[in-house]
Amino acid sequence: CHTSGMLTPNGKEYAQKIPREELTHLILKLLQAWKEPLSHFNQHIEHHRELPVDSLSKAKQISNMVHELKTGVEKSMGIISNSLNAMASSEAAGLSVSNEANMMSDSDFIHCFRRDSNKVQSYLKILKCRIMPENSC
Amino acid sequence: MKKKLTSSVQIILLLALTAVGLAGQSYPGKPKIIRCRSLEKETFSCWWKPGSDGGLPTNYTLFYSKDSEEKIYECPDYRTSGPNSCYFDKNHTNPWTTYNITVMATSEIGCNSSDPQYVDVTSIVQPDAPVNLSLETKTSASIMYLWAKWSPPSLADVSSNSHVYQYELRLKPEEKEEWETISVGMQTQYKGIRLQAGVKYVVQVRCMLDLGEWSEWSSERRIQIPNGESPPAKPTIIKCRSPEKETFTCWWKPGPDGGHPANYTLLYSKEGEEQVYECPDYRTAGPNSCYFDKKHTSFWTIYNITVRATNEMGSNVSDPHYVDVTYIVQPDPPVNVTLELKKPTNRKPYLVLTWSPPPLADVRSGWLTLEYELRLKPEEGEEWETIFVGQQTQYKMFSLNPGKKYIVQIHCKPDHHGSWSEWSSEKYIHIPTDFRVKDMVVWIVVGVLSSLICLIMSWTMVLKGYRMIAFILPPVPGPKIKGIDTHLLETGKSEELLSALGCHGFPPTSDCDELLIEYLEVEDSEDQQLMPSHDNGHPCKNAKMIPKETDSDSGRGSCDSPSLLSEKCRESRTLPSTIQTQDVRDVQENKGGRRSWETQCVASEQKILLFNNESTKSSTWPAAQLPNNQPAMFAYHSTVDAHKITLSTTNVNIASVLVGNEEKHQSQYSVTETVHDNTEKQREMENLHSKTDQITVQVKQNRSNDKSPFLNPKLMDYVEVHKVRQDEEPAVLLKHKENSGKTEKYTVPGTSKEYTKVSTVVDHNILVLMPDSRIQHTPVSQEPAMETSQHLQQGQTEKNMSYCLTVPSECRREISGSEYMNPSSFMPSFK
Repeated sequence: CHTSGMLTPNGKEYAQKIPREELTHLILKLLQAWKEPLSHFNQHIEHHRELPVDSLSKAKQISNMVHELKTGVEKSMGIISNSLNAMASSEAAGLSVSNEANMMSDSDFIHCFRRDSNKVQSYLKILKCRIMPENSC
Repeated sequence: MKKKLTSSVQIILLLALTAVGLAGQSYPGKPKIIRCRSLEKETFSCWWKPGSDGGLPTNYTLFYSKDSEEKIYECPDYRTSGPNSCYFDKNHTNPWTTYNITVMATSEIGCNSSDPQYVDVTSIVQPDAPVNLSLETKTSASIMYLWAKWSPPSLADVSSNSHVYQYELRLKPEEKEEWETISVGMQTQYKGIRLQAGVKYVVQVRCMLDLGEWSEWSSERRIQIPNGESPPAKPTIIKCRSPEKETFTCWWKPGPDGGHPANYTLLYSKEGEEQVYECPDYRTAGPNSCYFDKKHTSFWTIYNITVRATNEMGSNVSDPHYVDVTYIVQPDPPVNVTLELKKPTNRKPYLVLTWSPPPLADVRSGWLTLEYELRLKPEEGEEWETIFVGQQTQYKMFSLNPGKKYIVQIHCKPDHHGSWSEWSSEKYIHIPTDFRVKDMVVWIVVGVLSSLICLIMSWTMVLKGYRMIAFILPPVPGPKIKGIDTHLLETGKSEELLSALGCHGFPPTSDCDELLIEYLEVEDSEDQQLMPSHDNGHPCKNAKMIPKETDSDSGRGSCDSPSLLSEKCRESRTLPSTIQTQDVRDVQENKGGRRSWETQCVASEQKILLFNNESTKSSTWPAAQLPNNQPAMFAYHSTVDAHKITLSTTNVNIASVLVGNEEKHQSQYSVTETVHDNTEKQREMENLHSKTDQITVQVKQNRSNDKSPFLNPKLMDYVEVHKVRQDEEPAVLLKHKENSGKTEKYTVPGTSKEYTKVSTVVDHNILVLMPDSRIQHTPVSQEPAMETSQHLQQGQTEKNMSYCLTVPSECRREISGSEYMNPSSFMPSFK
């Protein structure tokens, strides 16, 4: 996967040790890394006539969700201009990454996306229970 | 020439044969050469197949020529190779020569020859199969081999050493179809091939000379490979699971171990790395498993896992298994399943089911999020109802039926990428029905009580039904003649009449004496109040009884009905019908039962007031005389101021005494003195109560100057006796009730009535006096003089005006002379 290069905690303890801001940053980085490949993927599969229409709409839906999620995380974490700079730099890095992503096969792409979305979900849940421990934690 | 000869001979022969054949026999068939074969290139044989013999014995001859020579030779040896064969031995075999062979069939008729066959010896070489194949298994270096041995085919006249054969061996497991063929070379033995333990093998060999064809396969040989002598089979990895998303375990299944115990090792490598690791922990999770603890577990990486089985014979490796721990999470079931019954007011009770996540799952940090699902069924039911609960750890159940038993189970799964846990242990729910039970108990108690009450009521009804009915529904009085029983009157027997009057003690008996005597004690002292005593009512009791007895034909409500008297007696406990008795009672309250009183009371409708003149007593009751006289003594008590009026009556005077009545009674009272039309109870009472004097009026026969106290029953309609005249015509003057006691009032306008008659005796304390119209007196106020009572005569035909001293104006007037009786008429008879 094109995001394999990113250093992400791959266990509960590691995820809990990381300070909040860093974890948030990581989440945003991940989300950002997928923005471009997703749109590319959508364009790619539009040309596949044999796929059912549901899949196409689902893929678009997913891309939107990722974008919204990224925006939501940014807002809820109160990230502002500082991180925007960071984002910019990472975007530059992301571009090279996305090239790599374009070369993936469809199944690999989906596999990598599934894994990274799981990562993001887990990190977000840990963050949530750290910040607001009352609700169902 | 020879040729011509032979040909001509042949023709002749043919002709002959055909001639013969025409006669039923035919030519011999054409033979055919089947094959020619050489075993070792030095000799060869040919075999032919004869055609039809045409019915005649046939000889076969084989002719051959070499290459293109014209010389024809005949077969040298017909026997060696068997029938229909020709064997060419060494001398006649030339390997580089082509033989032209034909076979002729000859019979009597003719002959026939086969097609010529060109045989090249070198091309027909085919050895026999090897012989004496033997098989053995050999084990060397813990590996099992097959050792096969055989011998080359035997040759009769050729030395076997000079021939070099090539050999080939094939084998297969007995059950299988495919042969495995091995070139052996020139050796007559073979060692090789690993064989599987426990399998039976079939082996064959064949040989070939350097040129020519392979021989046939030799006959089969079989060999059984003994067990326990093979490497293990390939293990398989069953599954890998993580219970809490922090560690995971993999399990494998071993194959058949080939006889020797096998060791298993698990090897894994991670995605992107080359290095292979071995399982860190074989024990924690049990046999044939590998447990990866937290340190060795990485998420979002794929593990490549294989298992190797090794034993003495060898080893075997399973297929690789790829695992990403994130997706293999299967939690433990939820724990601490508890039930709580909640009973809110005004609502149906409901059940709250709570549980907690499995202990290992770290839900608090958010690392693992679980979703729950529960299933429910009635105890006897078959199908489960599954309810998805979500991430809550509690559930409210409203829809359960009370009294039934349910089974509930819960399980959980990670909110994504995982599988459901096992169901928790069964929890039984029993809905209590106690509130229902309470209702039932209440109803049961109510039912029992009401039934008891019904029973009691019915019982009492049965026992005292009549009385109760009478109490509840008083019999409606019919119109009745008060007083006298008409039947008796009709019969005219006085004795009976008297008896009918109920005075079996009318001629006063000794009891009466006592009674009377007692009665006589009445005096007109102030303190003594001839109040109608609220005696315990001995007399009254009697009175009560009597009226009942006499009530049968008396109607209530008539003024002078005995019942009225009785009523009065009852109510006010006042004067009994016999004033005397009343008086006496008053005076001597404790004097025993007034039996005579009773007897009086038992009297018939007409109550007779007995006036007692009790001589012994200060009260001027001429009681003693009473028994003698047996007059109707009437005494009544009235409150007259300090007057004693004694009435003496020559005859039995029946003075009717007004008795207070109740409103409902209407009795006729004739008042000697005054008559109240409207009597007011209270005033009466007052009058009566404020007694200072007692006046007893004694009306008696043959008496004079007797004072007899009057007893005026203290009832509503009391009348004061104004005075009693005792003269020829004794009369009792009664005051108007409205008098305050002293003054006179006369309701009768202008006249004071004198009452000289006793119309009836009511109860036994009420005298009903009737006025004597003949006697008219001017109102005399407060005549102190005592006047003797009038002699109330019976049968006075004067207009009987009787006035009720009762308040109600419904006083009826009894205007009937027959209504009353003057017992004086028959009094003497009793003397």
